[in-house]
Amino acid sequence: MAFKDNRDFIEGLSKTGDVVSIKQEIDWNLEMGAIVRKANEKREAAPFFEKVKGYPDGFRIFGAPLATERRLAVSMGLSPDSTELLRNIQEEYERRVRSRIKPVVVSKAPCKENVLMGDEVDLFMFPAPMVHEGDGGRYLGTWHMVITRDLGSDWVNWGMYRLMVYNRRILASICESYTHLHAIKAKYENQKKPMPVAIAIGADPISSFAAATQLGIGRSEADFASALRQEPVELVKCETNDLLVPAHAEIILEGELVQGTKIAEGPFGEYTGYRSNPRERQIAYRINAITYRNNPILTMSCMGMPVDDSAIVVGLTTQVAIKRHLQRHGVPVTDVYVPPETGSYLVIVGVKPSYCNTASVIANAIFSTSRATFKLIIVDADVDVFDLNQVLHALATKCHPVRGIRVSDREASTQLTPFLSSEEKKWRKGASVAFDCTWPFEWSKESEVPLRISFDEAYPEEVKRKVIQNWANYGFRR
Amino acid sequence: MRKEYDTFVEKLSDLTEKREVELTIRDLTPGQHKYESRYVRAILSNSIDQLQGGDVLWIRFALGFLHPKPWAIKITEELGEYQP
Repeated sequence: MAFKDNRDFIEGLSKTGDVVSIKQEIDWNLEMGAIVRKANEKREAAPFFEKVKGYPDGFRIFGAPLATERRLAVSMGLSPDSTELLRNIQEEYERRVRSRIKPVVVSKAPCKENVLMGDEVDLFMFPAPMVHEGDGGRYLGTWHMVITRDLGSDWVNWGMYRLMVYNRRILASICESYTHLHAIKAKYENQKKPMPVAIAIGADPISSFAAATQLGIGRSEADFASALRQEPVELVKCETNDLLVPAHAEIILEGELVQGTKIAEGPFGEYTGYRSNPRERQIAYRINAITYRNNPILTMSCMGMPVDDSAIVVGLTTQVAIKRHLQRHGVPVTDVYVPPETGSYLVIVGVKPSYCNTASVIANAIFSTSRATFKLIIVDADVDVFDLNQVLHALATKCHPVRGIRVSDREASTQLTPFLSSEEKKWRKGASVAFDCTWPFEWSKESEVPLRISFDEAYPEEVKRKVIQNWANYGFRR
Repeated sequence: MRKEYDTFVEKLSDLTEKREVELTIRDLTPGQHKYESRYVRAILSNSIDQLQGGDVLWIRFALGFLHPKPWAIKITEELGEYQP
């Protein structure tokens, strides 16, 4: 049974030892960010801040909801103690997202327990954290969803775009040109129509997960979340527009895009592990209404050096999306892994080559559709892509320093990419490199392909069996 | 008691002294509304002692790096919420 909200999820995490309730008063101004950051870097339990300095009792913050594979497993109702956790999560994820479950609309919702309209709105009423020293402002949206409806179709998009509190009524946000938000916004601007927006903070863990993914144009993240939960997400209508929001979210902000101008936003320490894009004028929303639950629980992701929530969620969804994309193109892919430590910039693909230059086909397929994957390692199927030691060995020993490396300096990119120059960031010009760590297809298996020498591969079965049976008798302890 | 603000610049030479300029500032007054932004007209000085009645203006560069020496700011007009 899926968690209906974060309150249930926190309860679930407490049973597995994956949340720490912090009862002492914590300052929203950097102290909280530092705690979540350190917890991320130590792969610790999620911090749940129960008392925030300068804010009423009951206004709480849940940090790093999905920043470990364990918490992701719990959010999906899986055991976090599995020995093959990554593989189990991926298999269950692939199985669930094939199903089709629609959300349901309800008339009453917990998120309506308190309603503030117009001049009553003050975004500083919530303890939005100053996440890192030097950030451009307090970020109310670091793990949330921005909900917009396409103009001219029924498509509703949930996306996760950072939200800085500019003043009491205005949130500033980035909106990269490749995002679905940008495509929707452009239609409203072209037709000079106001664009309504709703922002849900503290939805159930899987709905927030869905908002952090990038599905295809026209695909509903609400449907996706329902499938991944294996239960419909409950939605309720906003007070000031027709958008539907998760009924069990903690806080709902309703407003519209500020038209005709842009507002200073950032800088902000990002999932790449750096603060690399400067303060710039970006889009903004004017908030006209707030609804929220009693004793609301804000969610917060402290991005920075991986691993954080974004790395876990984007890593999983990217690797599954790439695997399916390659399979649709007839590539004999065996597995794909996006190590969360790489901020999704590095993809490892396992393949059983059945024709020459398979690695090149894979590189073309991936780089032609991605703006955030810049480095690709392609390995033979006998290398476990989830085992970075095996991957590193293949890179060091199988990739030819000249023939095995394919470089392109004509890719698309994002403004957040740390290794790009200021000029390249401005024009979103990227670059890519693919490391082919497969043996050339034309090499003779009998006489040219080197034989891997390991316990599993270099000895007859009866010898291995004997060694394993006698291992403790030899005097070894493990 | 002087109030404290900060502003973001690409480079220090973007700031002009001793004549009115328009800029976005963040209010650093402790409390719930700390870091709220405003768009103002103001006179600036690179020395807190050379601007009578001035408040403290901290300077941050575009990526958030804090300039170690504060400037002074005297707000002459509130210009609204944000730069048009």
